[in-house]
Amino acid sequence: MIARVPLAISLAVFVALAALPWLAGDYWTGQFTRSLLYGLLALSLALVWGRGGMLCLGQGMFFGTGGYVMALLTMGKLGPGLADAWLALIVAAASAAALAAIVGVFVFWGASISGPYFAIVTLAIAVVLEQSIRSNYGLGGDNGLVGVPPLPLGTSAFDATPPYLLVLVVVAAAYFTLDATLSRRIGLVLDALRVNPNRLAYLGYSLFAWRVATFAAGGALAGLAGALFVAVDGFASPTLIGFGLSAEALIWVALGGRTVLMAALLGALAVRHGEALLAAWLGDWWLLALGSVFVLVAVAAPAGLLAAPLLWLGARVRR
Amino acid sequence: MAATLLDAVSAVLVLVLVALGLAVVFGMMRVINMAHGELVMSGAFTVVWLQGWHVPFWGCVIAAAVVVGFFGWMIEWVLVRHTRDRPLDTILATWGLSLVLKQAIVLLFGPGSHSVPLPLDAMVGLGALNYPAYRLVVMAIAAVVIAGTYLFLRCTNRGLATRAVMARPATAELLGFNTDRTYSATFAAGAALAGLAGALVAPLVSVDPQMGLGYLVPAFLAILVGGAGALGGVLAGGSAVGASTSLLGALWSPVTVQIVVFGLAVVVIRLRPQGLMRE
Repeated sequence: MIARVPLAISLAVFVALAALPWLAGDYWTGQFTRSLLYGLLALSLALVWGRGGMLCLGQGMFFGTGGYVMALLTMGKLGPGLADAWLALIVAAASAAALAAIVGVFVFWGASISGPYFAIVTLAIAVVLEQSIRSNYGLGGDNGLVGVPPLPLGTSAFDATPPYLLVLVVVAAAYFTLDATLSRRIGLVLDALRVNPNRLAYLGYSLFAWRVATFAAGGALAGLAGALFVAVDGFASPTLIGFGLSAEALIWVALGGRTVLMAALLGALAVRHGEALLAAWLGDWWLLALGSVFVLVAVAAPAGLLAAPLLWLGARVRR
Repeated sequence: MAATLLDAVSAVLVLVLVALGLAVVFGMMRVINMAHGELVMSGAFTVVWLQGWHVPFWGCVIAAAVVVGFFGWMIEWVLVRHTRDRPLDTILATWGLSLVLKQAIVLLFGPGSHSVPLPLDAMVGLGALNYPAYRLVVMAIAAVVIAGTYLFLRCTNRGLATRAVMARPATAELLGFNTDRTYSATFAAGAALAGLAGALVAPLVSVDPQMGLGYLVPAFLAILVGGAGALGGVLAGGSAVGASTSLLGALWSPVTVQIVVFGLAVVVIRLRPQGLMRE
């Protein structure tokens, strides 16, 4: 069983994040709103890849699907009666989960495609989806859908704090639910699914059902993140759905630590804000440095850079 | 009609040439090289760079194969060797490498696209049809290289030794073959093929830092459709993907074609995970 970051530490992280708007001002609050949602995407990938062992090279497709469904619904493009933002959030997450379930059934049914084949197939599907959206003028083509209404929080649209707090609550809820679920028997089954699927099947578990369910759950989380992102950002663009964002999410999770949820979440925050801080200083060298670190981590430290310190801290706290 | 068919043959040969290096590495070493597209790109940029020094085109092509082959040798030595028993980490490492190569090219050459002048600007008359000579030359070179690779692996002692190391590494090592050296030579050869392909297509396409992905995905689909492991599979898969892309391109827009072909390829991979050519 994989060691868990204790509740005290994860609570401390979220409390510190909750204090941010009063310490950092509107600009950074807005930036952190977005990176927290990227963090939620990272959590979904940590679930699917880190724990479930399914290396999905196209996790962005669920983020983007959630985003586009949210944009279409709240902009009233599918009928004014369906424009309620809260309903749209749920529909967006459900659509992404449905897409993931369809892809999952297609891929895992019968003689399952696994390992490297799964990675390539998910990459191809993400590329196809991005191309379809880019060439679909009903969805805005290359420009995307502009003018998605902000979340109806009853406050000024220029106040960054309410959406930030809402997003923080959603991400925290997702994190603690996932953490609690994975520390139970389900987590053990997922570890077996990753480490020794044959033995799991021998014990009577359906690999197909567990894989599809895990993949769909990951899709739902990514779709929820995408839907909130589009509402915060004000537009849905094809870059949300394809190769680029999927690759970035992979970097966050790999650098943070694929098997430890908190490490994946912090990996997203660290890389996003590291970029904001260092890009001014390093310029174009930033991407080169990030890629090199990513390669080094993949070769020499596959557990990630944040997992070990977090678990070490956790062991100290627990004692 | 004849031009359409010739275009299709050309598309197939170029795709098989691009996929060949990938197939050698994936089929024999079971290593997924996500940076293969960027190795193709590096080959094309080697030509751009050397043409700036007024090196003749065919010299650039040979240099591209050598330079990118050397890249491949280093990549195997630094990355692939250390992740051999962790295939998913090889995917990550080579993917990271693709980002590094892309960004290195952006830093060296800028983000824009470059064009390489056609080394042969003549048309060749084939009956009623005029076809660009350079395309015919590329097709001929691709056919020769593909046949050469196949003959090397099937009909030479060194090819036999290579296949032995790939099929039964432990046994081959006991019999005195140096497996490590075989692995690095194989990876270097795969990279050299990518560099060669990149250099040959450079005059036909716009050479830019983002061109790699456009080669990686079709090449992988071709390999998976045909069946990994057998070089015959690359030919079959490359023909299926390349010809359908090229022929449908006469009817539909490039985007629609890409969506349809990728979608079909994914379905074929799903229905025949072992590939078209395997039992």
